[in-house]
Amino acid sequence: MSNGIRVAALDDIPQGEGIAVDKAVTGTADDIALLRDTDDTVYALDDTCTHETASLAEGWVEDGYVECPLHSSRFCLKSGEVQGLPATKNACPHRVEVRDGEVYLFPGESP
Amino acid sequence: MTERVVIVGGGIAGVSTAASLRAQGFGGEVILVDAGEFPYDRPPLSKDFLTGSKDIKQIALQPAQWYDDQHVRLINRTTVTALRPRDGAVELTGGQLLPADRVVLATGGGAARPPIPGLADPRVHVLRTADDADRLRLSLTPGARVLVVGAGLIGAEVASTAVRLGCEVVLVDPVGVPLAAALGLELAAWLHALHDRHRVTTVRATVESFTNRPEGIEAVVDGVAGVHDAVVLGVGMVPSTELAEAAGLEVDRGILVDERQVTSNPAVLAVGDPARLRGVPRTEHWEAAQQDGARAAATILGTPAPVPTAPWFWTDRHGRHIEAVGHMEAAAHTVIRGSFDDPTFSVFGLQDGLVVAAASVDDPSAVRAARRLIDRRIPVVADRLADPAVNLRGLLRG
Repeated sequence: MSNGIRVAALDDIPQGEGIAVDKAVTGTADDIALLRDTDDTVYALDDTCTHETASLAEGWVEDGYVECPLHSSRFCLKSGEVQGLPATKNACPHRVEVRDGEVYLFPGESP
Repeated sequence: MTERVVIVGGGIAGVSTAASLRAQGFGGEVILVDAGEFPYDRPPLSKDFLTGSKDIKQIALQPAQWYDDQHVRLINRTTVTALRPRDGAVELTGGQLLPADRVVLATGGGAARPPIPGLADPRVHVLRTADDADRLRLSLTPGARVLVVGAGLIGAEVASTAVRLGCEVVLVDPVGVPLAAALGLELAAWLHALHDRHRVTTVRATVESFTNRPEGIEAVVDGVAGVHDAVVLGVGMVPSTELAEAAGLEVDRGILVDERQVTSNPAVLAVGDPARLRGVPRTEHWEAAQQDGARAAATILGTPAPVPTAPWFWTDRHGRHIEAVGHMEAAAHTVIRGSFDDPTFSVFGLQDGLVVAAASVDDPSAVRAARRLIDRRIPVVADRLADPAVNLRGLLRG
């Protein structure tokens, strides 16, 4: 089992916001959004909203959810489960770990 | 205990009720009765669906598999003809009774038809359903002369779509600046002026009559006759309250509900366009209907209702995306962030140092921020709000 890819320092991600990690780094089909909740837990979901084209990394992260910046679809940070229309498909979650203030991503692994 | 919920109508309010029931853990039966093939989203009807760039499957509110996955039984192509609260059932087309412990009325509404002579002409269209849009699309051919009556959200969107399809469009409304109450006078005026810049002729007037002529449908607008190939009425909607009235529920410009969406009969709830909370006007927006559904589900489950948020709506016209949140009419003054000539800009309505409303052009993120500023009652400094260099997310942190 790998130790994951070191993709950011925790401080790179403002609380309640996200940053996108390029798919060239993650080796995945889509960029991956690192999303830091209001309780400072970091989650990772495929970056593109399943409804349209917006980046979830530019969304609003709070209380266990991310809200798409474009049309307000909501996804559960932990599971990627869609919680609010207009999106109807779940977002794909990835395992992420924070160790010593560094964020490690495990692309394709379930959280 | 509620074991079987029957939802009447598959618009955003009905489908949201079903989805919320499951999301909140309801384990009983959920049955959705809808007149169409499957529930679809209505905002695209005046935009991508009307141009033909999206078909009916692409605007489905949920994929077909969702109903199986969520154990929601969809009874399609069927209408509820009567509520039978005393029998604990609803009656379907053909007389079949469907037992129900709780009924949720999500019956939507029909297009308003003002008493204008000659209105029954087949060239006079309304736009509430996919069938309406399918019919209208056939008329929106390049060079077609189209008269749109009503310059609110739907009329303006149809005018924008029609001109994009190459039609010659005249847009008539008696109001000088439509949507001024919702968006503030400055932004509403800018938005209405966008029509002229995109070859839509705007006329401030009322339509007096329609007459069928060999060369088209003649409309008399403030005494002046003009001939058109098609007319579209976008003058508001009438809530569908017939079922509720026939069942003896209290109805007054909408099915009267309390803050938990319960009608005057505790077994019957109402959500979306036809529901009216006692003492306040009806709301007709997409998200309000969605929130009604979530609230109805909470009522059925006996769980706390979701916290209401500032009302939000959006509209698209002439390639610009406009969003608004809150109550602009409650603002004492407005602050403009950016300039009306910029690709994106926003207007914030303030009262006593608090944001009470916002409207943005091509900047949905500003409205997302504004909604949080409103809901959390975060004090703001007007100058900082007006400065496009100031990060709005930063203002949320106080």
